[in-house]
Amino acid sequence: MQKRVLTQIFKQIICLCMVAIVLAPILLTFFAALKTKADMATTSPLLLPAWNRVTFENFQDVLTDKYLLLGFKNTGIILIVSLFFNVMFGTVTAFIIERFQFKGKGIVVGLFFMGMLIPTFVTEIARFQVIQGLHLYNTIWAPIVIYVASDLMQLYIYRQFISGLSVSLDEAALLDGCSYFGLFVKIIFPLLAPATATVCIIKAINIINDMYIPYLYMPKNKLRTLTTFLMNYANAQQGSWQTLAAGIIIIMIPTIAIYIFFQKYILAGVAAGAVKE
Amino acid sequence: MSKLGKKRKRFIFAALVVPMLLLIAFVVFPAFDLFRMSFTNWDGYSPEKDFIGIANYVSMFQNKDLWMSLKNNAVYFFIHLFMIVVELAFAVLLTGKLRAAKFYKTMVFMPYIINGVAISYAFSYFFSPINGAFDAILSAVHLESLIRSWLSDPKIVNYVLAFVSLWRFSGYHIILFMAALQSIPQDQLEAAEVDGATTWQLFKYIQVPAIMLMVDFVLFDNIRGALQVFDIPFVMTAGGPGYASSTFTLYTIKTAFTFSNFGLASTMAVAIMFMIVLIYVVQNYLIHGLVLKDRRK
Repeated sequence: MQKRVLTQIFKQIICLCMVAIVLAPILLTFFAALKTKADMATTSPLLLPAWNRVTFENFQDVLTDKYLLLGFKNTGIILIVSLFFNVMFGTVTAFIIERFQFKGKGIVVGLFFMGMLIPTFVTEIARFQVIQGLHLYNTIWAPIVIYVASDLMQLYIYRQFISGLSVSLDEAALLDGCSYFGLFVKIIFPLLAPATATVCIIKAINIINDMYIPYLYMPKNKLRTLTTFLMNYANAQQGSWQTLAAGIIIIMIPTIAIYIFFQKYILAGVAAGAVKE
Repeated sequence: MSKLGKKRKRFIFAALVVPMLLLIAFVVFPAFDLFRMSFTNWDGYSPEKDFIGIANYVSMFQNKDLWMSLKNNAVYFFIHLFMIVVELAFAVLLTGKLRAAKFYKTMVFMPYIINGVAISYAFSYFFSPINGAFDAILSAVHLESLIRSWLSDPKIVNYVLAFVSLWRFSGYHIILFMAALQSIPQDQLEAAEVDGATTWQLFKYIQVPAIMLMVDFVLFDNIRGALQVFDIPFVMTAGGPGYASSTFTLYTIKTAFTFSNFGLASTMAVAIMFMIVLIYVVQNYLIHGLVLKDRRK
């Protein structure tokens, strides 16, 4: 019995160390965000400022930056439009691949499979020409079309889900005179709701956190997203850690909030998306 | 019947046409275009480009900075590789009997969710030579002698960045291992425990064999991830000082968008693609040839 208590204590200590490592960079940044410029130099970075010297000016500075609001707006638009099309195309494509046999299916599946193998980042070297050729450079459509066209994890999640739905459902609906379109919209799509929730949450986090695509395709000030806002803000605050720290904390909040509320979906979806074999 | 067949065809076509066009325009075509550009000396904006054969491929293999960058990728790979043991241990710990396991699970995955740019800046502050928290921690435990310029010493900068990468991505592997461990039937574990198996025996004889597929996935995911490290060095050091913390992907992107050598950059991109496909083929061969075959017996 005593041995069991000891192992439990030992396990707790290890886990608490892990928590400390995870939280340290975030908490220390938060401490800095609460300090004045003078206190930054005189207090230890490991400590909070004296309680009567805590300042919210750094947060105020970030929150009153006109580009922050713009960043929220742009990220919001990109998010909603991309998710809408991702869900629409993802569900219908997965439905067709799972339930229909047709000429050229091999090519279709092969192309989507190829799309999943192609590495990120370096593809932008060639994609840049396509985006420019279509006059999408420096418009909000550039990231949207890229998020909709590439990153195909939703196909796996939807295919897995659809393969678990009974085919007799389809047959019954078709016998009752339902059109293919009606079958999809009225029966299949609503049944996919749990998978859609997972897809939306995971994609939302990826899109909010994405740096390189908005950075490369939307250098215009008016098109800053939350992440590129932080990059510009960091460049403008050279050497003024306390204000940058406040910016860091604010930009972290949206995805952490999504994570805390929807953790169950995220953890399930991440594991499902990984094992594709 | 033929009427239904026609309707069917029309539905399939209508449903697939837009997603297929998008995929071809923004994913498949660019991939092929990289091949074509890799044989030219295009600078990214001039209307003309010359076909220069395999000159880019020759110059890629002779590029010392690129090889150094690839070596930096290897550092990420090995550090993450050693960490897999720790990750497995944590996964076992968190799926076992543990108070507050749910809270710890939340915590362990949080770094993966956090905005990568924000956390990169936070770590720049953490390792900063002026008022940096890490130096303060070292001083607090009287290890001042270990203090270095963490982000500007070419000898160690890459290790520091690899540590940041560990911080961010280890939780992902732990969650994957946990998902695999939880798929083991509970009664199997209980029966073994009743028979007096120790934790180590449970781990070795029941848990490890059951999660081999996931271990395999994580191993290959690690190779792919290490090969494509980009945003941590891009934000924290821009690959510097010099090329001390550059990576293959970062160097490729710089060659294109900073030095306007799209031809050479495409060649490097083709090399990355080739490596990724190769890794995939080997992985598939291993899984289907060895792991799954074993299981069938």
